[in-house]
Amino acid sequence: MSENKILLNSVPIEEFKESIESIENAAASRINATPENADHGLAQLVLTLIELIRKLVEKQAIRRVEGGSLSDEEIERLGETLMKLETKMEELKQIFNLSDEDLNINLGPLGSLM
Amino acid sequence: MDKIIYAVTGNNCSQEELNSLVKGISGISGSSLYALSFKNISITVSDFSSSKFVVDKEMAIDFARIIEQLSQKLTLLPVRFGTFLKSDEDILKLLTDHYDSFYNNLIKVWDKDEFGLKVIWDYAKGSEKIKEESEKEVVKSDTYFSKNTVHTNYLLEKIKKHKLEDALLRHVEKLIEEISGFLAEINPECKFKKMVSNSLILDGVFLIEKDKKDEFIQAIGALKQQHNDLHLLLTGPWPPYSFVEIDQSF
Amino acid sequence: MQENVIDQSKDITILEILDRVLNKGVVITGDIVISVANIDLVYLGLKLILTSVETMQQRHLSVVKPNHPQK
Repeated sequence: MSENKILLNSVPIEEFKESIESIENAAASRINATPENADHGLAQLVLTLIELIRKLVEKQAIRRVEGGSLSDEEIERLGETLMKLETKMEELKQIFNLSDEDLNINLGPLGSLM
Repeated sequence: MDKIIYAVTGNNCSQEELNSLVKGISGISGSSLYALSFKNISITVSDFSSSKFVVDKEMAIDFARIIEQLSQKLTLLPVRFGTFLKSDEDILKLLTDHYDSFYNNLIKVWDKDEFGLKVIWDYAKGSEKIKEESEKEVVKSDTYFSKNTVHTNYLLEKIKKHKLEDALLRHVEKLIEEISGFLAEINPECKFKKMVSNSLILDGVFLIEKDKKDEFIQAIGALKQQHNDLHLLLTGPWPPYSFVEIDQSF
Repeated sequence: MQENVIDQSKDITILEILDRVLNKGVVITGDIVISVANIDLVYLGLKLILTSVETMQQRHLSVVKPNHPQK
């Protein structure tokens, strides 16, 4: 690039490194994909989508709980289900060796949804 | 031979001028650029075997270089890196089938540049006050639950977490309103991503008329003065990567 | 120290560029597009995501060769 694109930068180096990790991960996930690690890329994609859905479901569920219209039994079942989903998600992340950052890849036109 | 496409351009020049402009820019990995036109819009193309194509940093940056060079002389809609079509016929069909979409989008970005603004904060420091406020709204178990179980405690923690997230989002939305205030005179089209991470609280892009560039930069400078608690990264001018909206029925 | 600042500026610019060319711009999908193995697995809409996944799995099977040397 012939001209300098940075017009204003007041970000200290450390802070900047942390906060752009997500962009690096997104770029890396597209740049480093090979047939060999395609499985990993696939797992990352699938788990990202599942995690997104889980978080949306969690949000909705909590809204309903806050709304106060649920019975004790419903609340108990909801709590148990959400807990199990989260535990399962943690297990899957361990199995596929994926961190929280890995699951926040930029989903192209959908943007980074989390 | 496969074709890689770079950008959809609006031609404010003759076909000859376009051809010589495009010939003067080298494509990725030394390939030659050419332009296929329909009425007053074109697509910039080069021959490139998709099997030779590797998504690596150097090639992506080279691609951006070409977009940048084209945008010095032409209004354009950048195409996403790594888009291959099979033939000139397919490319022309793309142009003719979607002429209206491309044309309207080119009008939208005519004489405008994209700028990016990222707002970063120290999460611990920045969110401290917001956390306090959100915890003042004491979340007690008996507000929501008549029983006290492992599961209701789990839900209680989630409620607290979501209240904090909502409070953070509202804080960022206030910041967006403030930014819009500083840019009221310019009134640009803009898009925002909120709370991209705990530290990257806002990622915004702006479509600014070329002759309003200095005014815009000044306005962001004024914004920065108001916020010693925030770190800003302003970049640009960029070709309008973030402002291409095409009816996706290919 | 001065060098760090310059390197950081370069890095920042590169990341901004990569973010734009990889994640933004006109997205063209469908029959006319040749899918490249390691590009976007995600397109607009779940329907397109599933189609890409299928294409990728097929590609994975056809690319793996018997005596493929390990990197």
